[in-house]
Amino acid sequence: MPHATVVKPANLKALWKLLPSISPKRKYLAGGTDLVTGANTGLNSAETWVDISDLKELRGIKETAAAVIIGAGVKISELEGSRLVGRWLPVLHAAIPHFASPSLRNMATIGGNAANASPCSDGACALCAEKAWVWLELKGKRRKLPLAALFKGPKKTALKKDELIIAFEIPKWKHEGAYLKLGPRSYFGISKVSVAAALEMDGGSVKTASIALASVAPVPLLARKTADYLAGRILNEENARTAAALVKAEVSPITDVRSEAAYRREMAGVLLARALGRIGRRGENL
Amino acid sequence: MKKKTTGLEAVNGVFEISLGVNGAKRTFAVKNTEFLLDALRRYGYKGAKKGCDTGDCGSCTVIFNGKPALACLIPAFTAHGAAITTIEGLGTVRDPHPLQEAFVEAGAVQCGFCIPGMILSSKHLLDVNPEPSEEEIKKYLDGNLCRCTGYVKQIKAVKAAAKKLRGKGRVSGV
Repeated sequence: MPHATVVKPANLKALWKLLPSISPKRKYLAGGTDLVTGANTGLNSAETWVDISDLKELRGIKETAAAVIIGAGVKISELEGSRLVGRWLPVLHAAIPHFASPSLRNMATIGGNAANASPCSDGACALCAEKAWVWLELKGKRRKLPLAALFKGPKKTALKKDELIIAFEIPKWKHEGAYLKLGPRSYFGISKVSVAAALEMDGGSVKTASIALASVAPVPLLARKTADYLAGRILNEENARTAAALVKAEVSPITDVRSEAAYRREMAGVLLARALGRIGRRGENL
Repeated sequence: MKKKTTGLEAVNGVFEISLGVNGAKRTFAVKNTEFLLDALRRYGYKGAKKGCDTGDCGSCTVIFNGKPALACLIPAFTAHGAAITTIEGLGTVRDPHPLQEAFVEAGAVQCGFCIPGMILSSKHLLDVNPEPSEEEIKKYLDGNLCRCTGYVKQIKAVKAAAKKLRGKGRVSGV
């Protein structure tokens, strides 16, 4: 591709001004970590790379009175050391050590992780459980979606051409969290199943629950029926067992190179029971 | 006026990029389809090893703008303006870095292919955490795979290097 170019706008205004003048065979480039691993990707896949790593609007982790805002360009390793993530986002905080390897966490961005729309994404799964919203922008126009609604299938999103993920907005709600991942090794593996559990507790009872799973559906899955069941119930072994049975009915895993459908379904239940147990033991009900 | 957009244009598919490698200013001509690892090796920095070429093994780890990163996944053109440290920049045979000394002394090297990456990852770990626990070392080196050893001596070497660096008051040691 002899006419390859790279443009690196400094802000969104410059980006939208620039886009009409560049090749339609263009792609956004952030951390770049999924470039060589996905099908039909690699550096041959665009004539113009729009390097978004300088966009100042995509940076930083901030808070408002009601929410934590994570810029799409924030690296996973920045989340690791963030006081706001540690304080308000226990599920995401617990998921980070499971996210690839330390060096990849220095490269990959949370926005890119969502845009890649992998069903096994640890970042997306944890953020879905945290009840995250995603802010998108196209030519200066912004819209906001529940993060789970961004995902349409493996590697498929609701993003329109040129639309960019700007930030994640996660409401501040008082909750406990756990993230359990089953992979071929404890760390740095792609999951066979992951379970993210966020529970708002009232003494020994669950007030509200948000449960998300990775690698057991075409998209990071919100297990709504299971979460509804848990709401208002005491967090004990019996209820955890019922929740585990319910979640097994909500998932739709496939058999592929990483695992088998039946095993994934079974382990979705096991991991959920363990996650609930972990949270319950903090309150000594389980 | 501050420039709002910076850009690079490939001439016949080749970008000219300026970057810092081991403290020296360099200009590389890189293909638009090339990754940083291949460019570094072509320009003589062969300490960065090509193992899996898919971001799984960690042999190509370099310090990229202050943090360990995988050169096999970095489009070479994005290194324009970056500062990179490869194993060649950490120490020399005559004046090795304490980590290099410790790896030799502990016998942590067999075939040696994973060692440059492992040492550069370890360097950043010791920069941010001068006294890591064994568990912290294991977790930090999680992305650096070794196929010869059982990692025991490498973990021992990182501990020994941490001690040396603390003794020297030389925590940030390039």
